[in-house]
Amino acid sequence: MNIRAIGNLLILATTVALSYGMQVSKPHYAELTAPIPVDGAVHDTVRARSFAVRLDRVVFARTLKSDQFGQEKLLTTSGLWAVVTTSLTATSTSTTVADGTWQGPTGLRYHQSERLGYRQDMPPHSIDPGLERRGLFIFEMPPDQIPGASLLVAARRFGPLDAQARISLDAVPTGADGQPADVLPQYDLDARL
Amino acid sequence: MFKTARLKFQTWITAGAGTIAALFVAGLMGAFGALPPHAPPQLPPDAGIDAGLWHLKPVRAYVSRAKVYGVPLKPGQKALVLEVDLTNRTAQSDKAYFNVFTPDGLALLDGLPMIALTRDSTLTPELHPGMTERMAYVWPLAGDAIVPANLSFGIIAELFKPRDNLYGTPGWFNPTRLGTVTLPVVDLPVADSRKGGS
Repeated sequence: MNIRAIGNLLILATTVALSYGMQVSKPHYAELTAPIPVDGAVHDTVRARSFAVRLDRVVFARTLKSDQFGQEKLLTTSGLWAVVTTSLTATSTSTTVADGTWQGPTGLRYHQSERLGYRQDMPPHSIDPGLERRGLFIFEMPPDQIPGASLLVAARRFGPLDAQARISLDAVPTGADGQPADVLPQYDLDARL
Repeated sequence: MFKTARLKFQTWITAGAGTIAALFVAGLMGAFGALPPHAPPQLPPDAGIDAGLWHLKPVRAYVSRAKVYGVPLKPGQKALVLEVDLTNRTAQSDKAYFNVFTPDGLALLDGLPMIALTRDSTLTPELHPGMTERMAYVWPLAGDAIVPANLSFGIIAELFKPRDNLYGTPGWFNPTRLGTVTLPVVDLPVADSRKGGS
């Protein structure tokens, strides 16, 4: 009788512990429907579901020069500008790639800058299968967010269960102080066109 | 007989304890609820304020009669301008700063202000984590509106919830009035207010 009671209590305690553990470890809805990462490195072609992206180069600058409707615009920042040049192709059908995010080493997410207005080579990039297209993603971030960062590229900002290219930027050369080795005083976005 | 009375009393107490407690708690809550509500506190204008997503530091407030930071004004209108240093306290770029400030006791023409980055007059850009930027809140006012020399601005802050009740996703909810900041308002003459523009 006594043994039986103790056994019942044990079963009850185990059930409570198991249920609590399951409740605590249950993934959130946001995690269940999060974008699916596809990892890659600089100069690799990363194949996401609807597009493929290759990171060609990253340039850091203190100011950006851009032509807007025939007017020259100088953009300053409290951190650094990062101009990321990528090559994009569509997988099977013409589509657009609209979202670029700079993810710092601690997970802070810097969305692409909205300060440049409309430009042909800025997102949303219209891409076609078999035709490689140069696409820029422009960010501003504090210098301490550069070492160990990664670039996240997705077709849309909110794309649940869609692929997201995650390109690790470890290959970016940095100096002794952890900041990028060469920072241009000014970068002209229209010089290479 | 004496014994049965005591038992009866004990039964009454045992059965009624919950009711008595409920009545007591409800009475207390009613009494405290009837007290006049606390006015939102006055916040120091020269120190930084943590208000939900944003860390704020008001810089200056003024009335301008010319175009400020690229925000156009209709003829006969003037604008109340509040310049603030805003820092994003969250882990991701955001632009949910429209409702943070409301000037008290003014007849506003639009509910929401126009907000510009003072650096290059970009309207409502996203602000990035940990990067402080000076933003200008511009409220267009009727030309004959009277703006007091010391104007109080209500500050609205939101609360972070790791999961909301609908989807279980993290987000910022429940805007509440955190307090009030009172700033002197300078009335800029027309010639001076041009300086602020781009």
